[in-house]
Amino acid sequence: MRKMWWRHAALIVISIIMLAPFYWLLKTAVTSENIYEYPPHLLPVRPQLFNFVDVWYLIPFPRYLFNSIVVSLIAVAGNLVLNAMAGFALTLPFVGRRSVIVLLLSCTLIPFQATIIPAYLITAHLGLLNSYLGLALPLLSTIVCIFIFKASFDAVPRSLIDAARIDGLGEMRILLRVMLPLSTPAIATNIVLSFIWSWNNFLWPLIITRSQDMQTLPLGLARFLSYMEDTTGALYAFVVMVLAPGLLVFLMAQSAFMRGLTTGATKG
Amino acid sequence: MKRRTFLAATAATALATPSIAQSSKKLTFLSWNIVDQADLFKTWFAEFGKLHPGVEIEWLDKKGPDLPPFYQTQLAAGTPPDVVDLQGGIGVEYAAQGALLDLTPYLKAHPDVKARFNADYLGNWVWEGKNWLVPFYVAKTLLFYNKTLFKKAGLDGPAASFDELLSHAGKIGAGGGDQTGFLTLNFDWLYWALFRMNDVELLTPDLKQPAFDTPKMIDTLDRLAKATAGTAINKISWTGRWVEPLGAFASGQVGMLNAHSSAYFFLKGQGAWINPDTLGIAELPGNWSVPTLHGYGISKGTKDPDLAWAFVEFCTAKKQAQEMADNRRILTGYTDVDNVLMARVQKEEPLAYAVLKTQLEHTDKLCGNWPLPSDSRVKDAFYPELQNALLGRKDPKTAMKEASRKVARELRRT
Amino acid sequence: MRSRRRAMVVACFLAPALLIFIVYRILPLVWNIVLSFEYWSPLHPATWAGLDNYQEMLLDDDVFWQALWNTLIFLGSQPVAIAMALGIALLVNSDLKGASVYRTIVFLSYPLMTVAVAIIWHWMYNERGGLINYALRQLGIIHQPIAFLDSFAWALPSTIVANTWQVLGFFMIVLLSGLQNIPPHLYEAARVDGAPAWARFFRITLPMLRPSIFLCLVIGMLNSFSAFDLIYVMTNGGPGHATELLITYIYKEGFVSTRFDYAAALTVAQFAILLLLTWIAHRAVGGNAGAIE
Repeated sequence: MRKMWWRHAALIVISIIMLAPFYWLLKTAVTSENIYEYPPHLLPVRPQLFNFVDVWYLIPFPRYLFNSIVVSLIAVAGNLVLNAMAGFALTLPFVGRRSVIVLLLSCTLIPFQATIIPAYLITAHLGLLNSYLGLALPLLSTIVCIFIFKASFDAVPRSLIDAARIDGLGEMRILLRVMLPLSTPAIATNIVLSFIWSWNNFLWPLIITRSQDMQTLPLGLARFLSYMEDTTGALYAFVVMVLAPGLLVFLMAQSAFMRGLTTGATKG
Repeated sequence: MKRRTFLAATAATALATPSIAQSSKKLTFLSWNIVDQADLFKTWFAEFGKLHPGVEIEWLDKKGPDLPPFYQTQLAAGTPPDVVDLQGGIGVEYAAQGALLDLTPYLKAHPDVKARFNADYLGNWVWEGKNWLVPFYVAKTLLFYNKTLFKKAGLDGPAASFDELLSHAGKIGAGGGDQTGFLTLNFDWLYWALFRMNDVELLTPDLKQPAFDTPKMIDTLDRLAKATAGTAINKISWTGRWVEPLGAFASGQVGMLNAHSSAYFFLKGQGAWINPDTLGIAELPGNWSVPTLHGYGISKGTKDPDLAWAFVEFCTAKKQAQEMADNRRILTGYTDVDNVLMARVQKEEPLAYAVLKTQLEHTDKLCGNWPLPSDSRVKDAFYPELQNALLGRKDPKTAMKEASRKVARELRRT
Repeated sequence: MRSRRRAMVVACFLAPALLIFIVYRILPLVWNIVLSFEYWSPLHPATWAGLDNYQEMLLDDDVFWQALWNTLIFLGSQPVAIAMALGIALLVNSDLKGASVYRTIVFLSYPLMTVAVAIIWHWMYNERGGLINYALRQLGIIHQPIAFLDSFAWALPSTIVANTWQVLGFFMIVLLSGLQNIPPHLYEAARVDGAPAWARFFRITLPMLRPSIFLCLVIGMLNSFSAFDLIYVMTNGGPGHATELLITYIYKEGFVSTRFDYAAALTVAQFAILLLLTWIAHRAVGGNAGAIE
């Protein structure tokens, strides 16, 4: 008991440090006067929401938001289906399993920036330039998430699976009826991670979108940066608007997500 | 229910249709970070469509750092935008790579178009004797100075020589506090006038060899480095990008700023102290300056070069250029148009007039622009070493020797 | 018969995901490997270059070495971040009241868009409006503002701090999961034997955490090799090449200097280095990369 207070003290200091950038961002976003004034005010002086209104009118925010949501939904759906299937396959014994795993792991070592030109050419051949599917395609499956599913499936008791097999259930049904219901944390983790990655993707949409109508939020952010430079609070207001949806998704799914990572990351 | 079906339908069509419509003739125009003129462009496209029935303009805009990767991928895919707006040295670079169409025959066939432009600005995109781009909008560097700080230091006007520039800067820097004497932007070779006025040449006239590793250069660097170590030259000169140096000058603590004319509007927005009595406008000693130009080029891969040319001709015509100039208060390199703008600005805002006036004078003293197929690589090899010398991280002699070796390597490679 | 059916099932289940990786990872890698032995740009047909690109990279290009060095420093910061995350994980891994609130706060920066993180920290470091310079000046630690991102000495550490801020929460969660999987009876046994707290930490906690630490190391490594968005927005590799990482250098050589062939050689080098480092990390935790198998 005696020790509790210093734990709290340490954690409060850490929390303040971790939250400080958030606070500074919010404070700047609602600041109306010159943000380069020295010394800066710790509390916003006469806070107002003009910057947010400015952003709304300067940038087709709803359109960018809609695009980002559509692309992220496709990516999340793809990740759930493809990763669950692949993760399940990896729990089954088969010839070449080790090499598949090595292959997948080495895929994570290839930087995306170096794959742009061939990836673009392939997507062009598929006729998917400037389309939602094309935007989501490279992100439809992610390796880390496959392994999170695999770890979760590995934790399902063998006896349960064997019983299902004896009952004559096919592999697809075992996956759907036995594995997935027991893996809700892994599902949540998949949703959150694939959502975050797709939501934050910057370089790929930059290359494959042509029209303004197809731009996603990160592109809007970059565009905004060049439009306004970082000279007013409006940029920071836009950053807040861009970050809010992602944080919201995370906060809503967070407890399941944390459990998913904790069971998925390590088998123990 | 209704909304849901609508959403589903939108999603389905967006998913299914690749956007490149084949219905009519399409011309793609890629611009360089100029979304603020969207309304103007839309009227241009509509008008152009009336002149050329069935032609539709697809407009793409990318900001500076994002444009090269986009353009390169389009080149690789064989679908380059027909008309492209390029800034500074990159135009010649792309021309040398074979990406752009030679505009010389068109300019020959249309002497009236050629006559529109200030010959010095047009000449900036000549490589191997051919024209590759025509001016879209133009700017060059000038010297902004803080009259209040000048007075405080007992100085009555801008410097007439490099020596005087440094001594002015020293006096202002000695004023105490955060005060520094001189500041320059450093991207796109904008600082080069400082060296040019000391008769330093970057390359031999045939552009094949570095020519800057001379006692004159070492001496110039030595003096600049000493001034930077003290308070005469602000260190941000050699490290900052755009916001930092302009912000420093706008804060009123810097005596002189070497920047291009577009900086004026930023300064005015940031510095409450700025008015005709406090902000001085001048040229650097010797009237040397570095241009930052935007030009229209046509991709060699265009399906319809004549139509693309017609579009360029249309956009640079008097009416369109004037609209552009008036909207953005920017010079276009089209002499008549710029004169009209100047007459207007003179009445409205004398200070802006003084700034813009420098842009039309001494255009024969442009420097820092070499028609090199490898401009950005040469700069990348040169600048870090220059920076090392200026910030006192290396002595100028060693730094320039190293820079010379690296630049020579880049020049050899092409 | 049965095993053939099984093979079919496995193939069908794996195929879609594998297809994505083959198309968007493996094929581009092969493309890069081939390209690294050629001279090529989008408008020039490829010609054989032999080892020219590699020769230039290894013998003649200081920027490559600097970028590699910077990347390794970035990488070297990851174990520090992991240690910090472990500390936090130990603090919140108890029946502490409000532990989940602390956990959420520490994790909150991880889901952020990296471009936004870069913008936030660029602002935090600002000489006039930034919180960091202000705080340091108020505390009397410095008297003149420091231009962190424009300074040769400070720029790289500053980007590392921003990166650490973002990934710390992720490391913490992974380590926390490892901690929670350690059977409590091990500790009880040790306590009965009279082992002091530090001994329990080094004899039980650390060894049992090995798989989690390995996972953190691998993710930290990938993350330092791919911190592109962060550097691109915060410093674009500057000043000079003080914050140039391999990944930003690859991008610049390819797209800014239009040397895709040379960039391909750099890519292959980065891939090889990563492969080597993964293997070393794998060996370092005793060949038992428990996270994967």
